[in-house]
Amino acid sequence: MIIRMSKIEIIGPKEKLLETLDLIHNRGVFQPDPQLLERIELTEGQRPQALVLDEDELRERTFFSDLHARLSVLIELLPKTTGQTSQLQPLPVMDALNELANQHLAAVRERTEQLAEHRQEVETLQRDLSFWKALEPLTHDLPTGSNLELFGIAIRDAQQLEVLENLLHERTLGRCHVSSTLTADGALVGLIATTGEISSQLREALTSEHVPELSVPEDLANLPIPQRVTALSERLATSLARCRTIELQTQEMSHRWLPIYQRALAWLEERLDLYRATATVFTTQLCFIIQGWMAKTEVPELKSLLTQAFDGCVVLEQQAIFEEEIDQIPVKLCNPGYFAPFEIFSRLLPLPKYSSYDPTPFIGLFFPVLFGMILGDLGYGLVLLVIAVVFTKRFPAHHLASDLGKVLGVAALYACLFGLLYGELFGDLGKVNFGLEPLWFDRGTELVPMIVFSLTVGVVHILLGSLLGVWSHLRRHQPREALIKLVMLLAILLLVLAAVGWFYPHPWLATRPLLLSVAILLPILIAAEGLLAPLEMLKTLGNIISYVRIMAIGLCSVLLAMVANQLGGMTGDILVGTLVAGVLHGFNLLLGVFAPTVHSLRLHYVEFFSKFLDLGGRRFEPWHK
Amino acid sequence: MEKVLIAFAAALAIGLPAIATAWAQSRIGAAGAGTLAEKPELTGAIIILVAIPETMVILGFVVAAMILLMI
Repeated sequence: MIIRMSKIEIIGPKEKLLETLDLIHNRGVFQPDPQLLERIELTEGQRPQALVLDEDELRERTFFSDLHARLSVLIELLPKTTGQTSQLQPLPVMDALNELANQHLAAVRERTEQLAEHRQEVETLQRDLSFWKALEPLTHDLPTGSNLELFGIAIRDAQQLEVLENLLHERTLGRCHVSSTLTADGALVGLIATTGEISSQLREALTSEHVPELSVPEDLANLPIPQRVTALSERLATSLARCRTIELQTQEMSHRWLPIYQRALAWLEERLDLYRATATVFTTQLCFIIQGWMAKTEVPELKSLLTQAFDGCVVLEQQAIFEEEIDQIPVKLCNPGYFAPFEIFSRLLPLPKYSSYDPTPFIGLFFPVLFGMILGDLGYGLVLLVIAVVFTKRFPAHHLASDLGKVLGVAALYACLFGLLYGELFGDLGKVNFGLEPLWFDRGTELVPMIVFSLTVGVVHILLGSLLGVWSHLRRHQPREALIKLVMLLAILLLVLAAVGWFYPHPWLATRPLLLSVAILLPILIAAEGLLAPLEMLKTLGNIISYVRIMAIGLCSVLLAMVANQLGGMTGDILVGTLVAGVLHGFNLLLGVFAPTVHSLRLHYVEFFSKFLDLGGRRFEPWHK
Repeated sequence: MEKVLIAFAAALAIGLPAIATAWAQSRIGAAGAGTLAEKPELTGAIIILVAIPETMVILGFVVAAMILLMI
């Protein structure tokens, strides 16, 4: 249901404004609405002015805003610590915190840059070391003390290696030696040994073939490979140690200061929220005025809190709601026990207007019935009931899965009930094996009664929707619209009765007088509503016929279940037959959950709610921490 | 011959709306998939929208059943 709202005005001396806002902020039950005051017709002299902050307040707000931005960056850069909180009151030490934040931010930024550089260096050194470590054993085969020049190269694959070997032998006339190996991480690297005089020629060949030479720091380039590996290892260890030192320093700073900065940031956010809220405040020379909305039930508590906190200086008053303000009232939905889980479906719609209805109770009442009418199978209903119980027990209350479980449970109960009425247990399994007979009729064979039943449900549902529409217009003091809707409802009812009289003749249902009555009502409707009135009537009739889907989808489900049983029986083997029937029933059950849910909801959203629900309400968003 | 015509009429009664439904659902489905990429919270509403054209094939099915039953 839609919670009743009160229009509230809070008035107090200007110097108590921030304290008052803080108190309201903490309670989290009030939604300010500055437009309310703007709508009141006052002369220019009488009209309160929007609050303008004085120079000191502006300076303070800018300072807090700037500090908030810097603290946000600092907290983002500092490593996270767990479990520590600070009880510090930030306001008295705000100046000191500001200075410290500047110093710490500069230090953390510098360390972050240094750390990034060292990590980059570590990455490069690790890669180089892995290559040169793999190449080192290859140097053992080379003659020692000779004037050989060595090249390390990265090779794409074995094919490229073969091509390269042939090319180098051709260019150097066989005066080079290529050997290759795999690194620890599986990359192919090669070592080329050649004499100094043809090294430049060899480099050109490598460049032309796009073969990258392995990098090495400049100061290590002249070292023999074994010493080069040792030097690289030492350099890597040094870089890793530097990274660790910086990380430890930052962690130490974070451990000491992060909880304090987080506390200060939370305080600043609250304070800036207060300043933002001042945009909704109006002032006179001495007083502030705040207008807005809150739930009627919360008013006495907030009123007494304000009186106690400010010794009666700050006053809360409920004001009369004007006719033109009704659609501006924010909407808060709240549904008791049984209906609460059905809010998962009403949340799919936009919010209703304050003067309209909460769709949740209607979904709660009718959705499970329509679902049960469509699925209508004792066996499927029991399986769904078990699934619903598991969902409800396994997940905590108000969790989406728990709510779905509760909705499914109610829908499954109706599926069991209609299953008994239709005499269905996993299709015709109950009838064939256990002699289950329908208490009402067998919808698998008696299509006409099922069509009539579906259309009857449609007539009742749509007429109820139209009646609610009439009531809705009356509540909004729109008697003309209510009367037109009532006449149309009457015309539809007469048309339906005429159709019933046509198919099932009865002395009380003479078709001709009924149609004559419609013919009398139609010009009245056209005179009142124009040419759209007959179209609206046709649309309503279409809405009623749309309920025939209850029969159609239900029949598909029955036939699929019967096919599952017949296919299972045709296998001639009890195990294979059970498996085949089980798989098909599982598939049918999946469809049996999805299709009735979607179509029951559609019957609500498109057919039923369009008759009376006025959507487009404003969500109640109380100002809170 | 009469039976053939009845069966043909029933097949048309369900076949044509089925094609129309498939076409409408393909358009709505494609637009819905695009919407979901930006607003995943609209999943429920889009499922309902995709189901709306099914009215055609359901009514076609009812008409086909009535033709076959010679109502």
